[in-house]
Amino acid sequence: MGGAGAEGNGATVEPARRRRFSFNAMLDGFFFVFAGLASLWLAYLLLSESFAFGWWGIVVFLAFWLVLAYLVLPRIHRILTTIYVPDYFMGRTRTSDGLLGDPVNLALLGDDAQLLATMDAAKWTRADDVTLRSSWRIVMSTITRRSYDEAPVSPLFLFGRTQDYAFQQEVEGNPAKRHHVRFWRCPDGWLLPGGARVDWLAAGTFDRAVGLSLFTLQITHKIDADTDVERDHIIATLGAADPAVAVTVLKDFSSGYHSRNGGGDTIRTDGDLPVIDLREVGVTDAAGAGEPAEASVTGGAPTAASVIGGAP
Amino acid sequence: MSRDTTKRPAFEPASELAQAGPRDPRMRRPVPTTMGAALVLLRVLAGIAWLIALAAQWNDLIAEQFVEVPIDPDDPAVSAALWFVLAFGGVLLLFDLVMAVLISLGFNWPRIVVMVFSTLSISGTFAAWWAGDQNIALDQTLFTLALDILIMLALSSRAARDYARRNDRRLARATASA
Repeated sequence: MGGAGAEGNGATVEPARRRRFSFNAMLDGFFFVFAGLASLWLAYLLLSESFAFGWWGIVVFLAFWLVLAYLVLPRIHRILTTIYVPDYFMGRTRTSDGLLGDPVNLALLGDDAQLLATMDAAKWTRADDVTLRSSWRIVMSTITRRSYDEAPVSPLFLFGRTQDYAFQQEVEGNPAKRHHVRFWRCPDGWLLPGGARVDWLAAGTFDRAVGLSLFTLQITHKIDADTDVERDHIIATLGAADPAVAVTVLKDFSSGYHSRNGGGDTIRTDGDLPVIDLREVGVTDAAGAGEPAEASVTGGAPTAASVIGGAP
Repeated sequence: MSRDTTKRPAFEPASELAQAGPRDPRMRRPVPTTMGAALVLLRVLAGIAWLIALAAQWNDLIAEQFVEVPIDPDDPAVSAALWFVLAFGGVLLLFDLVMAVLISLGFNWPRIVVMVFSTLSISGTFAAWWAGDQNIALDQTLFTLALDILIMLALSSRAARDYARRNDRRLARATASA
C-alpha cells in the first residue's frame, strides 16, 4: 500500500522531501529547546526564592506558578509531544501544547453555508476568537458569574490547524458551564480510516466547571467525562432544527476507550462516530424532509456503514 | 489503480512533520512577537536605570576599587572613564532598542541576534551559578535573568517564528508547490 501511495502522491510529496537541511530551522529548534530548559531553571530559582521571603514568598510563589503553568510546562510538553505523539489522525484532537485533547466524536457532510445555517437554527452561538479582550471578558464573567454566551473556546488542533468554527450553548447563564463543539474542514479527498468520506470532523464536549489542568496546571474548563451525552445532544439539537438533517452511525469507529483529554479530565466513549448529513439542508428547505429511512438516529449499524462506505 | 490517485491516505505523510506551518505574508503580528519586543524594550529601560545608578555612585565605586592607590575624584580621568562606560553602554542599549523595533516589525535576523545574545547571557549566568560563584537572589540578577529567559521563550515560540519568517521566499515556494 505504501508503494502505491507513494507513486500516486509522488508529485505532491516530492517538493517537501527535496527541501534540504535548513540551518535556520536547526537554529530555531535549538532556541526552542534551550528556552524550555532555561525557563525550567527560572522556575526552580523562583521556587527556592519563595521560601526565603516570609509572607512575601507567597507573591513569589504565585510568580513561580505563573511561570510554571503558562511558560515552562507548555514548552516542555510541546517538545516532548513532538517526539512521542504521532501526528496522524487517531480520532483525537491535540491541544496547542501537542497533548491529546478532546475526542473527535462527530462527522458531517455538507458545505460551509449549510453547517452555519443549521447550527444557527439549532440555537448554537459562534464563539468569539481568542483575543486579549475576549480572554479578559471570560475571566471576569466567570468570576462574577455573569453570562457571556459568545465566550471564546481554546484552540484545539486537527490536521495540524485550529478549528474552523466553534459553537457553544451556555447553561444557566453561567460561563463555567457550557455545551461546546469545534469543527474542522477535512482536507480535500481525505478519507476516514475505513474509507468513509466526510466533509467535516467535530469534537463536542460539555464544560462542567472551571479548574486546574492536570498536565499544565493552567486554569481551564473541566469537561464532563461522558462525551457521548454531549455528542447525542448535538445530534438531537441539529435534528430538531431541520428535518432534512439525516444521521448515520459508523458503529464502533474507534473502539470504546477510557482516556484523558488535554486538561487531564477523564473521558469515556462507546466509540461510535455519527455522521450528520446536512447536504439536503437549505436545498429542498423544510419541505423536502429527506428520506425518512435514512434518518435513523443511532440506528442499524450495518446499513449505515454501507451507506457511508460505498466507495469500493 | 488510476482511481487511487484521487484518494489520499487516511494518515498524514511523514514529510508533513518536517514542514513548518503555511507561509502567510498577511499574517497579523502575534502576541509572542509583541511580548518579545516589549521585553527587549524593558531590558533597554532596565539598562538605562542601571547606567544612571552607576553614574550616581561612580566616585564611590572608583574609591572602593582603588583602595591602595587613592584616587582624586576630581581627576579628569575619572570622569572620562565614566563617560566612556556610559557611551559604550548607551551604544549597546541603542542597538537593543533598534532590535526591539525591528522585531516588532517582523524581521527575522534581529530575532536571531537577540536570541543568540540572550543564550550567551543565560549560559554565562548559569555557569557562574552552577560553579557557586554567583548567588542569584530576588534582585537585579534574577530580574535580568528572568527578562532574558522570557525574551527567549517569547521569540523562540512558533507564532513568533512563523511571523518573522512569513515572507521567507524559500519556504513560500515549498508551501506553494506542496
